Amino acid sequence: MFDYYLKLSLKNIYRQKNLSLLIATTLGLGIAACMITYSLIHLMSKDPLPNKSQRVYHVQLDNWKLNFSAIPPDLPPEEVTWRDAMNIVHAKQAKFQAAHAITWGMVTPEDKNVPPFLGVIRATQGEFFPMFEVPFLYGQGWQNYPANHVEYVTILSKSTNQRVFGGVNSVGQTLPMLGQLFTVVGVLDEWHPSPKYFDMSFGAFYQPEDLYVPLQIKLELELPHGGHTNCWESDIGDEYQAFLNSECVNFNLWIELASGQSKQQFDNFLQAYVEQQKSLGRFPKVTNNILMDIKQWLIHKEVVSSDMYLFFYLALLFLLVCLFNAASLMSTKFAAKNNEIALRRALGATQQAIFSQCLTETIILGCLGALIGLVLCMLGLEGIKYLYPNFSTFISLDMPLLLITVGMSILSSIFAGLIPSIKVCMLAPAVYLK
Amino acid sequence: MSSNQSQQTRLPFIRIAFRPMISSLLRQKYAMAMLVLQIALTLAVISNGLFIVSQRLEILQRESGIDEPHTFVLTSSGFTENFNPQTSMQTDLAELRQMPNIINAVATYSFPYSGSSDWDDLQTVAGSDQNTVPAASYKLDEHGIEALGLSLIAGENFSPSEVLWQTESNKTFPNVVIITSNVARNLFSTLDLASVIGKTIFINAAHSTVVKGIVNQLQAPWDPVGQIENSIIYPRVVTRNSSRYLIRTKPLMLQSTIADVEQYLEMSNQQRMIRKVQSIETIKKQIYGPDIAAITILLVVVSALTIIAAMGIAGIASFNVIKRHKQIGIRRALGANKMDILSQFFTENIIQTSCGVFIGCILAVALNIFLVAQYGLPKLPSSYILIAVLCVYVLGILATLKPALRAMNISPAEATKSQ
Repeated sequence: MFDYYLKLSLKNIYRQKNLSLLIATTLGLGIAACMITYSLIHLMSKDPLPNKSQRVYHVQLDNWKLNFSAIPPDLPPEEVTWRDAMNIVHAKQAKFQAAHAITWGMVTPEDKNVPPFLGVIRATQGEFFPMFEVPFLYGQGWQNYPANHVEYVTILSKSTNQRVFGGVNSVGQTLPMLGQLFTVVGVLDEWHPSPKYFDMSFGAFYQPEDLYVPLQIKLELELPHGGHTNCWESDIGDEYQAFLNSECVNFNLWIELASGQSKQQFDNFLQAYVEQQKSLGRFPKVTNNILMDIKQWLIHKEVVSSDMYLFFYLALLFLLVCLFNAASLMSTKFAAKNNEIALRRALGATQQAIFSQCLTETIILGCLGALIGLVLCMLGLEGIKYLYPNFSTFISLDMPLLLITVGMSILSSIFAGLIPSIKVCMLAPAVYLK
Repeated sequence: MSSNQSQQTRLPFIRIAFRPMISSLLRQKYAMAMLVLQIALTLAVISNGLFIVSQRLEILQRESGIDEPHTFVLTSSGFTENFNPQTSMQTDLAELRQMPNIINAVATYSFPYSGSSDWDDLQTVAGSDQNTVPAASYKLDEHGIEALGLSLIAGENFSPSEVLWQTESNKTFPNVVIITSNVARNLFSTLDLASVIGKTIFINAAHSTVVKGIVNQLQAPWDPVGQIENSIIYPRVVTRNSSRYLIRTKPLMLQSTIADVEQYLEMSNQQRMIRKVQSIETIKKQIYGPDIAAITILLVVVSALTIIAAMGIAGIASFNVIKRHKQIGIRRALGANKMDILSQFFTENIIQTSCGVFIGCILAVALNIFLVAQYGLPKLPSSYILIAVLCVYVLGILATLKPALRAMNISPAEATKSQ
């Protein structure tokens, strides 16, 4: 029986080519608009560390001036001071902990064929690498060195290794940079977490850094303070060390709790730490420590901007208009067939048979709509790549999106065609047979 | 008969039979309901969409105070041990300022759209508990005003002797500053800007300095506090291994000068490299990328929606023309003229659109209330609803035009044909 419906539907669609194409295009346009905007939200809010994002926390402490706030209305700064970073990391109260900051400096390879370049560098403690599951191609990271321990070691990103060493395993080689001789201990594999949650000061979808050095190197070589720097004391002195001793914040502090460890436990530790610092005359404000896991942090930082949701809601309304449009067109399409249907009814076709046939036709139109929608979706995503160049590397039509598109299209065609189908099978044949 | 005719031409409206028209519209309840809802939603989306677009355009068109179309920046990074940032910078700038196509050049890490700078708190009375005005700081020498293309509206420019050459750690404060007119008004609550010249202000509660000049406008390089018009210029040049030059060219000379300067600087000193050569307009486009994207996406949605709605209206009207072929023939045979048929279709369309507009206005306001509550958008001015209403009516009439013309030309002879 289904074969017969299918054949009849295809025949009908072919006979009303233009109208059918119009219906399918309308559906396709609506679906494409929704899917393009939805995929933006979907791709931007992807969990960058799916295995343990709920165990990895960003640490904030409020060391600000009394009656002032680091971030309005009354939030603590998003970075911590050198002192707090050192104290908390070396207290080792979590499974992993690392403070890190962005900096830069000249890299001057020994090979004269490789021109010197300004490297963007992340100065970080070693537990950064296991905590954020940074993939290594060669070698490995370093441990969290004890305070004041200086090692001239570095880790290269894959592209930096390509640039300086032509992509070979460079572990153990030396690399002159920042006026010193560094030993390469590791080379990363392709790594571009999206969003770049651990430090979004250059934007949520910015490239990770070219090179990594131990955090202590920043102090040793007095490297510049990259990323966000914020101070509230008016005079801290001119020395580099004075900055580190001050209440100026510049260091991103992250921790990973062990799988059994409760957040409360770490919270209590932080509370006690701030109390102890208060007794030393620091932290003039009411204690306000904030621990946010990656998901909370991304929502707090509004990685998916409100624009994206706005586009999505407008696209939903657009789809609704397309559905109303398709519904009225389908009603027209079926109404034009009233005579034929009346004849079939008179010859003994049941209401159910007519309904099934109309629904088959609707679903075929939905499939056609899905096809058009997919093509438009791909074109649209190309356009989006052009509009959001920073984000373009992450844009692709993945399998779930593809399935949702097809599903949505068929569902909406049924939604649009249901009432017209019911109307058509309810009609009294006698009137049309005169 | 002739008097009757003239009455008809004077009042064609009187011949429109509303009652049968409405009852025929009601007979196709479902299709009509779909059409009215379409028009209503279209109205709601168009009015809100266009409003958001206009707001983004306003941001894009905001003046920064500098000569944007003729300015570019580049970075010079020294990498050898005996590279001297100060002499390199002085030689470069002296040479650049002599080039015939360059109006002026200055070394600065910050400029409008550069995205980073320090913000300082300014106050008119010393002490830590005073009201402060935040201002983004620029560090420029005496060429800064001309290189940026600022207009000095009160006081004077810095003199060369006032400019402090400093390394990064040296934080000695200069004795004089130039502020923007907005800072002057905020600090002293006066419109008489000349009276502000010579007054003492305090920076970050500690350093006193004297206002030497006021520029009309200079936007902050970035705006974390919603005070983009607040800037302060210090007569300082900070030397680092990596320094940034801002270069203003004569009109129409931007592209050729960029190439010349890049080539010259690369040859003149081999101990550094030239990077990040970009015109201000390119940087501006990157900074405002999300707004440009939003405008594009919204316009695409609004126009696609308009097309879909027009196709829907035209589709139903065409169907009606086909379905009423015989009826129209009969009406024509009974004495209705072409105008009557045309006005029948247009009136039907106007009735549909009016129903849609009625619901659409409510939806537009509802959508706006949602957006205000959810994303802090401003309230939708009624003018945008009016514009959208007008658009929807025009759209309806345009979409009905072709089917209505076809109906108008149905010959009265159709009445005699049997279906």
